[in-house]
Amino acid sequence: MGRSIPLVEKEFVSGFRQQKEWAGLIASAFFFGKVGSGLFIMSVFLPSKLGMLVGLMIVLCGKGGAHMLYLGRPMRFWRGMARPGSAWVSRGIWAMTFMMISGFALFAVPQDSALYLPLAIFAVISAFVVAVYDGFLLTSSPAIPIWNTALMPVMCMFYSFLGGTTMVMFMAHFSIIQLSAEFTTLLPNLEIGLLVANLLIVLLFLVGSINTGSAGRASFDLLVKGPYAVPFFSLAIGVGLVFTLLMSVFGGAHAGVGTVALITVADLVGHFFIFFLLLKIGVFKPVLGFLKI
Amino acid sequence: MRYGMVIDLKRCVGCQACTVACKSENGNGPGIMYTKVLDQVSGEYPNVRKQFVPVLCNHCKDAPCVRVCPTGATYKREDGLVLVDHNKCMGCRACYVACPYNNRIFLKRGKTKEGYYGKKLTPYEAVKYPEHQDGIVEKCKFCVDRIDAGLTETSCTQTCPADARIFGDIDDPESKVSRLIRSRGGRQPLCEDDTDPSVYYLD
Repeated sequence: MGRSIPLVEKEFVSGFRQQKEWAGLIASAFFFGKVGSGLFIMSVFLPSKLGMLVGLMIVLCGKGGAHMLYLGRPMRFWRGMARPGSAWVSRGIWAMTFMMISGFALFAVPQDSALYLPLAIFAVISAFVVAVYDGFLLTSSPAIPIWNTALMPVMCMFYSFLGGTTMVMFMAHFSIIQLSAEFTTLLPNLEIGLLVANLLIVLLFLVGSINTGSAGRASFDLLVKGPYAVPFFSLAIGVGLVFTLLMSVFGGAHAGVGTVALITVADLVGHFFIFFLLLKIGVFKPVLGFLKI
Repeated sequence: MRYGMVIDLKRCVGCQACTVACKSENGNGPGIMYTKVLDQVSGEYPNVRKQFVPVLCNHCKDAPCVRVCPTGATYKREDGLVLVDHNKCMGCRACYVACPYNNRIFLKRGKTKEGYYGKKLTPYEAVKYPEHQDGIVEKCKFCVDRIDAGLTETSCTQTCPADARIFGDIDDPESKVSRLIRSRGGRQPLCEDDTDPSVYYLD
């Protein structure tokens, strides 16, 4: 397929075409889903009931709310559970439902009960699926080559863990939850490790997307050279990963609540923008790619 | 039995008669087109070539839209038609981003109340618009109502003045579409996506 085929806006012209349907609200749903499920998973391990509750509420109200606002027919949302055998949207709705049921059930079951551990395991697995299914959803769409990479679910997983860790650190520094001495030492190092991992995954994604065909290349160009380059390099990479990493390494969690608040805001801004921009740069191939140019 | 279409790019004159016929058949409002003809300009001056490329839902054998639809609203019939059940669609647009041919249309709120001549609908629009719903995804139906009524042509093929669109059973080796695909080397669009479209292009 010729690289000279243009990226088009006009309705009656053939060429690469940007997808316009999945943008702000879907990016918000992805963002809240990952941060909420990451926080929930971390809180189950701590353990912190308040952290679990906040995580569940972020997923329920943030992710659920964004999806409901986005749907063309929100009152039919329950119909979305009909096809878990083939549709990742269905699997996501089921995972959210299981996460909510098992997550809230954990509050009713005493921690020393025999039921608590299996329930907690089930809730963590459901939350994990909520965190990563977006990646599989994007990967399963053959129309947009830049999304067809196995790195998408991996990226979702690491961003979810990063969001969860950041939120736990934030809540601990503002005395909303209590951490054991062991976790107080572990979390800042985990945060740095996850930031480095995310930076590497984003770099790998960029390198890989160069070779995703001409439509993938058109997406790549939009991201690194086109109109989305400034928010990508400044907000998604600069603020979200590099600034956060530098603050975590040189300031660290011990530098005070102000630094932790800044790290949290920067991390969340970067988290939102990376997925928002990945949605925005989705490009369809021209229908007749085989025509010689 | 598998209904399909052959589009002869050499014959298409880009008149958009198929676009208008389709809109008329389905009673689609402003901006809603199940099919349309795209302009594709190729080459560099002075060797420039302009081609018209009619596009529509390809009614793929392995349709990604059917696979990703979480409600089962998008389904495939035994005769190869990929259809949308308007009463099941929840408007998540997973099919929109999964369709490699970008041939799905999301009807935003108010779209089915917006007439061509202002807010007051014409008698024709008043009859046709209730067949559509806001907040769902629609697409070409290969004129399923005509097929079910025993007709053998879709609205666009019947209207095409250049006979550039031919409709028929691509599973029947003796049908006109099958013979054209064999003799002219019909090509499926974006065949690398393994969707096995039922629309073939002749160039």
